[in-house]
Amino acid sequence: MATAGLFVFLAACGLLWSRNMTHGVWFLAAEGLALTVMVWTSGPLTAATLGIGFATLAVKSGVIPGAMHRVISQWPTEYRQDQPLPFWAYLVAAGLVLAVGHVIQLLSPSGLILHRALFFYGLASIHLGLLMVVSRRHVLSQVAALVGIENGLVVLAASVAGALPTFMELGMLVDLLVAAAILVWMSRRIHRQFKSTDIVALRRLRG
Amino acid sequence: MNVEYFAGPLGVIVLALAGHYLRWPRVPEIIAVWVSVTLIGTGLLSYQGILVGNWPAILVMIVNLIAATSAWDSIPWGHEHPNMRRRRYYVWWPLFWTALIAIALASNLAVAWLAIEFSTLASGALIVEMGSRRALEAAWKYIVIASVGLALGLIGIIFVYGSLRYQAMGWNTLNYSNLAHVYRHIPLIVREVATIFVVSGIGTKVGMVPFHTWLPDAHSEAPSPVSGLLSGLLLGLCLITIVRFIQAVPLPSSVSFSGPHLLLAFGTLSLVVGSLALLVQRDIKRLLAYSTIEQVGIMAIGFGIGTPWAETAALLQFAFHAVIKSTLFYTGGHLSVVYHSKRLDKITGIARDHRTLAVVWATGILALAGLPPLGLAYSEWMILQALWQNNALALLIILTAALVLTFAALLYHLLRGLWGGLDVSPSAVGLAARESASKMSGPETATAEGGQH
Repeated sequence: MATAGLFVFLAACGLLWSRNMTHGVWFLAAEGLALTVMVWTSGPLTAATLGIGFATLAVKSGVIPGAMHRVISQWPTEYRQDQPLPFWAYLVAAGLVLAVGHVIQLLSPSGLILHRALFFYGLASIHLGLLMVVSRRHVLSQVAALVGIENGLVVLAASVAGALPTFMELGMLVDLLVAAAILVWMSRRIHRQFKSTDIVALRRLRG
Repeated sequence: MNVEYFAGPLGVIVLALAGHYLRWPRVPEIIAVWVSVTLIGTGLLSYQGILVGNWPAILVMIVNLIAATSAWDSIPWGHEHPNMRRRRYYVWWPLFWTALIAIALASNLAVAWLAIEFSTLASGALIVEMGSRRALEAAWKYIVIASVGLALGLIGIIFVYGSLRYQAMGWNTLNYSNLAHVYRHIPLIVREVATIFVVSGIGTKVGMVPFHTWLPDAHSEAPSPVSGLLSGLLLGLCLITIVRFIQAVPLPSSVSFSGPHLLLAFGTLSLVVGSLALLVQRDIKRLLAYSTIEQVGIMAIGFGIGTPWAETAALLQFAFHAVIKSTLFYTGGHLSVVYHSKRLDKITGIARDHRTLAVVWATGILALAGLPPLGLAYSEWMILQALWQNNALALLIILTAALVLTFAALLYHLLRGLWGGLDVSPSAVGLAARESASKMSGPETATAEGGQH
């Protein structure tokens, strides 16, 4: 289980680091695969865990990366590449990952954390996903970041509760599927209407 | 959760699809009648709960009331926007309505979270359906920011669930009644961290300052009947979800970041920013959106005070605001169509050109400004009274100042809209008076006066 968590964390690092959107899609698919393994190895294999595992595999390793890949492959090469990550983002990423250690120290006496390594991987993946939302500029990078955050939440839940209730796991999967479908559809429209995939183009409205 | 309440949205989807494939005429009218029938059915189903002050019963009644007005307003709005894809609109609209009902009825934190997340997606899709670049941009920011906020909220929910894993009750662990029963078993530090995450995370969806940046964009670019639902219902329902969590998992008042403290802090910030922003708005729907930020600030303060009187006041504020703000968004939408602009400096002379819209707009803005005896004046007075009773003098002064500022700003925009653009210079007034006199006294006088100049 911890190894699967480690793979999710490493894939989150890869997602943040990679400029190539096709590579990003593969990192997302790897996260989905690792999560599926985690679901199946977290306890005795029941009908519920088997179902959640297959659903996770289908949605997170199949449908979402597949939809993103399809969109990317239709775009000219110049739209498949994100801008370089600014230098400050590397420093912030290091700080955020180190900060997880402090959070573990803070929460350990409460007995909340069942699995410290898994908690580290989960919260660090969420932190990197949040950083990706603010530092990456490609529209599909933001979609990947949101999916990455959700994957981190699943690892975090496993570290404090073993697993989330089946109802919630499936609900989150459906929500993620609908969210990713809408955002990928919007990415295509943004590319068509703004002739760009850079979110800097979305600057008409100022909050 | 009572599944019969979901028959309304399901019926809308069936009617919309049947109407599309069977080529029925007047599908929006049929849907509006169906939603109104649902409203009556809701009244019959839940009137006993409403009479005894059952929150979910009251909330679902308000939701269906505003949904009915939104469905009726969708008819003229649809005529005004012929390029809108009606079939898609009437699939996303009932899905959004479903999410609103689910939030209102949810007795479980996980269900409420899922419904709030789904409401983001359905309403985001409705904004995209407007088709413009601005709408696309607004929807993108809305979905991304709200999803990030809700992910943070989920961390808090996961922590609470993890602390109670020994119960082995599955998702029922997160029932508010169960949480209220066993919250003492959750370590204090976990309760504190979870409260911060839930209030900030779901607070993003409430549009409380400083998490509000998506709100003016999304509300101003959404279809007007949807803006009414977003502004009038969704934000308040998300705030009530936060309040239910805070009440179920309370913290000692000595804790700096307790739920009520956070609500008071974010509420005050929202109130101040919202009322100041009203003064400088140039877009009719952004004006209403910033007013919503101010209003959720007042509601948050009411819930943050925490006394039964203040909570009743905040709930009343939610109900009155839902009715008033949705009506104003519908009216604002029609005004922006008839004036071919959303700019307030272009929407002038309403009193002269569009009398009916002028009456509705003026009544709504005066109600929003807190003019007695219209509803919000009463609930705002109750919140002021609750602050006085709790010796929160600093907050009382801030709220009073903000209410005065809001009144002045809204009155300024109202007067400019009703009579602005009319030339009231002395020469123009003199000319108008002469024209009027000439009409009254006939052509001879007019000729004589003309000769004098």
